[in-house]
Amino acid sequence: MKKTKLFMDTVVDIQVIQGSTTRKEAEEKIERAFDAFRMVEQACSRFSPESELMKACQTTQSPVPISPLLFEPLKFALEMAKFTNGEFDPTVGKVMEKHGFNRHYLTGAYMETPSNDSVSYLDIVLDEQCHTLYLNKPLVIDLGAVAKGFAIDLAANELKGFEGFIVNAGGDLFVGGVDESGGPWRIGIQHPAKKEHIIHVLELSNQAICTSGSYERRNANNPKIHHIINPKTKESPNDWVSCSVIAPFAMMADAFSTTVFLLGRKDGKKIIEEMDIEALCITPELQIVNFGGNKIDI
Amino acid sequence: MAKMNKKWVVLCSTAIAAVYATGYYSTEAQANKIDMQQNAQIHSQSSTVAMNTTQLKLPQTNTKITTKTITKTTPKTTTNIKTKTVQSRNSSPNISQSKTKQSITAPAKTVQIKRIYKNGTFTGMGENRRGSIQVAVKIENDRIMDVEISDFGMHYSESDIVGLPGEVLKRQNAQVSNVSGATYSTQAFQDAVLNALYQAKNA
Repeated sequence: MKKTKLFMDTVVDIQVIQGSTTRKEAEEKIERAFDAFRMVEQACSRFSPESELMKACQTTQSPVPISPLLFEPLKFALEMAKFTNGEFDPTVGKVMEKHGFNRHYLTGAYMETPSNDSVSYLDIVLDEQCHTLYLNKPLVIDLGAVAKGFAIDLAANELKGFEGFIVNAGGDLFVGGVDESGGPWRIGIQHPAKKEHIIHVLELSNQAICTSGSYERRNANNPKIHHIINPKTKESPNDWVSCSVIAPFAMMADAFSTTVFLLGRKDGKKIIEEMDIEALCITPELQIVNFGGNKIDI
Repeated sequence: MAKMNKKWVVLCSTAIAAVYATGYYSTEAQANKIDMQQNAQIHSQSSTVAMNTTQLKLPQTNTKITTKTITKTTPKTTTNIKTKTVQSRNSSPNISQSKTKQSITAPAKTVQIKRIYKNGTFTGMGENRRGSIQVAVKIENDRIMDVEISDFGMHYSESDIVGLPGEVLKRQNAQVSNVSGATYSTQAFQDAVLNALYQAKNA
């Protein structure tokens, strides 16, 4: 059984191998899995003034209590910022807004949020005990590299009772169990240049694979800018055209695929090897480079 | 090295656990049933008032969760109900119950006049390069709660397999079930969503 809905400006496909589950039960579970996307979107979206994130960020210089739906992915993003010394930085939100990535996909409304010009992840302080967010100055937080992964993980958790399932959020996915034939799921990697083509095939089970690429979501006015922007240089990196990361959790695969994309060849390779996870990256010349792990085949 | 990996794995698993631990993910009935949510919301509002006088049995955690999600989505209705229930505070619990029940319909009506869209699920049609698409848009108090792609006419299918290099195809005759790639946008669905919204518009 498969259902498709729109969340977080992308197409979310949820597919389960029904097995002995009744149709009604399967449908209910799929709905609950979709709820994860709705909840995380309502918590983490920077495209809606009513999201928990945007409301909380109206307050500066004072701690604001936030729910785990926002706290946890934000914490993950800040850890990644620390780990990369700010090469990955969730305070890139205002830069994204300025580059035209500020339109809500359903309402069509544009966001213009007040922000200081000079911001970094060090301006965000989370309190683990009180579960509060403290902003040093006005800024825009972008959780684009973690929130979707987090929603995929929560959705997957709701579906783990099925023999097999896939949560596919616009090309970032978690594959659980086995496919219809009882084997691992076959996942194609999108060809960066030819829309209808697949450049590579992987077999996966109980793993997440997320891909960051520069071939979708480009800036309409500036061909050099796409939706991954280096917070320091305010430019889009171009060492890779596509980076796929395979990890036990989608939030991890999501954040690391963005990070490897940002860090480029040398440093990207280094952190993947340090991390003992697998990555498959594609150069602008369409050369496939894979590093970390050894399960990538075919 | 593996130690580094473990740190991120732990961050991910504790993140999921934290959401469940605080009850944000209601473990019982489906939080997505909007009608139920509203009922639950109105119910819990009235019962918090009633609780002051009698010990009304409340499914505590469950209603708490649902109100949390609801207050975010329908602030208007919430305030309306609040004022109504405050009025009924002096009356006996039985009457307060029935009074708040009346208030369920009353504020709903007044709000509805101001609403841009009708509540409910509306079907919209659109075209994209893969063919025609149909979406079902669920609207609740002028908010889009859910957009389901109800017609799979445009779905990834044979065309993707055709793209496989010959040698790969030879080695694996089974089809690729899913594709990982840069997050594609929902632009292709925009027309269909707008079409549904148009139909939902109050005259």
